[in-house]
Amino acid sequence: MERPLLLKYLSLRMGIMLSLGLLLTACSKAPSGNAADFDQSYPPSSGGTLIDATAGEPSGLIPMIAGEAAASAVASNIFNSLLKYDKNLELQGELAQSWSVSPDQKTITFKLKPGLKWADGKPLTSADVLFTWKLVTDDNTRTPYGSDYKLVIRAETPDPATFKVSYANPYAPALDSWAGLQILPEHLLKGQDINTTSFRFKPVGSHYYKLEEWKPGERISLVRNPNSTQGPPRIDRLVSRFIPDPAAQFLELLADNIDSMTLNPIQYSRIVPSREDLQKKLALYKELGNNYTYLGFNLKHKPFDDIRVRQAINYAIDKQELIDGVLLGLGEPVSSPYKPGTRWTNPDLSPYPYDPNKAISLMQAAGYTGRDNEGYLLRDGKRLRFDILTNQNKQREMSAVLVQRRLKEIGIDANIRVMEWASFIGRFIKTGDFDVVLLGWGLSLDPDQYNIWHSSQQAPGQFNFIGYNNPRVDKLLEQGRLELNPDKRMKIYHEFASILLADSPIVYLYAGYGLPAIHKRVKGIDNPAPPAGIGYNSYDWYIPPPLRRNEISQ
Amino acid sequence: MPNKWRQALRNPLALSGFIIIFGILLLAILAPLIAPYDPNAIDVKAILLPPSLQHPMGTDGLGRDVFSRMLFGARISLLVGIVAVGIATSIGIVLGAISGYYRGWVDVVIMRLVDVMLSIPTFFLILAVIAFLTPSIWNIMIVIGLTSWMGVTRLVRAEFLSLRGREFVMASETLGARDFRMIFIHMLPNSLTPIMVSFVLGVASAVLVESGLSFLGLGVQAPQASWGNILTDGKEYIQFAWWLSLFPGVAILLTVLGYNLLGEGLRDVLDPRTTNTR
Repeated sequence: MERPLLLKYLSLRMGIMLSLGLLLTACSKAPSGNAADFDQSYPPSSGGTLIDATAGEPSGLIPMIAGEAAASAVASNIFNSLLKYDKNLELQGELAQSWSVSPDQKTITFKLKPGLKWADGKPLTSADVLFTWKLVTDDNTRTPYGSDYKLVIRAETPDPATFKVSYANPYAPALDSWAGLQILPEHLLKGQDINTTSFRFKPVGSHYYKLEEWKPGERISLVRNPNSTQGPPRIDRLVSRFIPDPAAQFLELLADNIDSMTLNPIQYSRIVPSREDLQKKLALYKELGNNYTYLGFNLKHKPFDDIRVRQAINYAIDKQELIDGVLLGLGEPVSSPYKPGTRWTNPDLSPYPYDPNKAISLMQAAGYTGRDNEGYLLRDGKRLRFDILTNQNKQREMSAVLVQRRLKEIGIDANIRVMEWASFIGRFIKTGDFDVVLLGWGLSLDPDQYNIWHSSQQAPGQFNFIGYNNPRVDKLLEQGRLELNPDKRMKIYHEFASILLADSPIVYLYAGYGLPAIHKRVKGIDNPAPPAGIGYNSYDWYIPPPLRRNEISQ
Repeated sequence: MPNKWRQALRNPLALSGFIIIFGILLLAILAPLIAPYDPNAIDVKAILLPPSLQHPMGTDGLGRDVFSRMLFGARISLLVGIVAVGIATSIGIVLGAISGYYRGWVDVVIMRLVDVMLSIPTFFLILAVIAFLTPSIWNIMIVIGLTSWMGVTRLVRAEFLSLRGREFVMASETLGARDFRMIFIHMLPNSLTPIMVSFVLGVASAVLVESGLSFLGLGVQAPQASWGNILTDGKEYIQFAWWLSLFPGVAILLTVLGYNLLGEGLRDVLDPRTTNTR
């Protein structure tokens, strides 16, 4: 008696649930019907909010003081420099209308654009530029960026629209340095201690956006600056959320809570393409990498002072395998310490090919003629044995494993040691107590690499920690700093790169691509990316009204 | 004693623990025979493949066979567990025996030392020490051993204190037995039971500590496989390559569970106080 009733009841319940379910799917269909149109094209329009994520919360928004990447990413939307790089990485005026270099190449005169204003409506003049220069060169200012500007022996402001700097000697990286100094407002900072001023939490700049709100531990939001010196951007509001864990960032991207982030190769070429829902809403871009990974030798330790050993190791490493294995093909081999494909890269150079036989014969020439019963090469009865030191970085660890395997194949006994960054720098790099490191160098846009390769830069804490010393390279690096003619300068750095490659003080492993993913609701992005990367025209990006997210009112 | 062993294996807890441990030990010992691939053989064309017939547990970020790495990882985990606890137990026995046998100021000094050591959280102590040394499995064994002897010391001391008043001990003392003979021939064999239980339970926690260290990058160094560092590799791809997190996680779980079951079971059977109540 009970059963049929129960069944009836159950089927009734299920009927209700089913129809409810149908209703629910019908409801949720509507927005996803819209979502299918992410690929459709729309005319440009203004408005909307773009949300991205940063790994860390800035310590403040004065770029010369804060120093960390998170701070400069946000600050670059608030402050202007005198110059900037365009999409092809050529210098262009930002606050400056034009600039001229004196015939003796020691003085640069910048003419500012007319009618420049700060976000609070006060005029922006050459006095602000002079004030910023004084700040960055002041010994009381705690900034790591002062050295370039301290070479200026005289800075003047003949009139409110002119700023003039003189150097003791011609200094080629000077223009690049003026593209890196973000100008601060004198009227708000005068008489304050730049290191501690509360201005860092409520900055006033002159660029596209101004600070709207900073919620500590959560987000910074920027809103369009009506007085922007560069004209109005299309998107109304930029929000940066603080999400320290990259895996969590990725989940937020999948959940549509952020619009853009930089992916790793696995996410880029495996996870996103394997899921149709993600392909529908995410656009993937590929930019030239802005750093390269290398294996560096301590040239003061034996046997790495022997060029044959260094070259042998270079020949023994298969760079393509590293690119395929670690970067899933999303990178390029490197043979100059510059961005691949830019003018400073010497096009005549190519990486050491993978050639284990040549590696072995070079090792034999260096005295490693014996072999022990495990197959390791011996010199005077001893193996070539060393630690490859690297920091806790998944790609570097994987690279070390691949390198170690190739070295073992020709008979070199390498161990891998992975360390936390601070102890790595403190205990090994600064003391010079290492044999081989696997690290990366960032690629700046100016070719000057005096700090890294000049023999005078070997003191503890300086960047030539591998102890590279080549008189010809020293000479070229000195010349390169004095030469302002771009073509002559290019020749100097091409020769520098070819000596560096032949000397093999480091083995270039690869330069990985930058892999940004941006929600398809954001339109107006250049694809393929120009040399400067996709971000160069972010002011031109737009989000068509039908694709905007529902603004959360707070 | 042999009778008790048989009794122990009739206890379902102890038996299941024993089977798990024995199975994992067997796999670890036979790893070179069972493993289908060299655990460090890299194949950049087979990165992050899901489990299949060729790769029963899939492949990792460098195309290495996870099953083979798990087998060789088992050797490391078990070796570290057993050797580390072996060190800890030896230290514990010696200090505990001295403390419980001689009593007086020696006892006070050793027991205060134990208190001091116990007041420091072991895992952080290990982290601090490892940061100064080159991380290698030998250093890890020694460091875990040197930081986890306190429990055994207290245990042995308590046993010795209670044995001290027993008739057979007094008898041999009256007959003029030397201290060494008293400790090692008469008293120690009679306190083996709790030592054995604590050894088995200790291995479980040492396996966990080793996995934790390797997970943090301070344990076994690449390219050598250990369950902890396979787990770290998997962390990055957890939404995509579940096999890299699941298998080492389950292996650690099973091993620790196995040792705990065996230890608990042994205690139930071997400890007269608990056997009588059952």
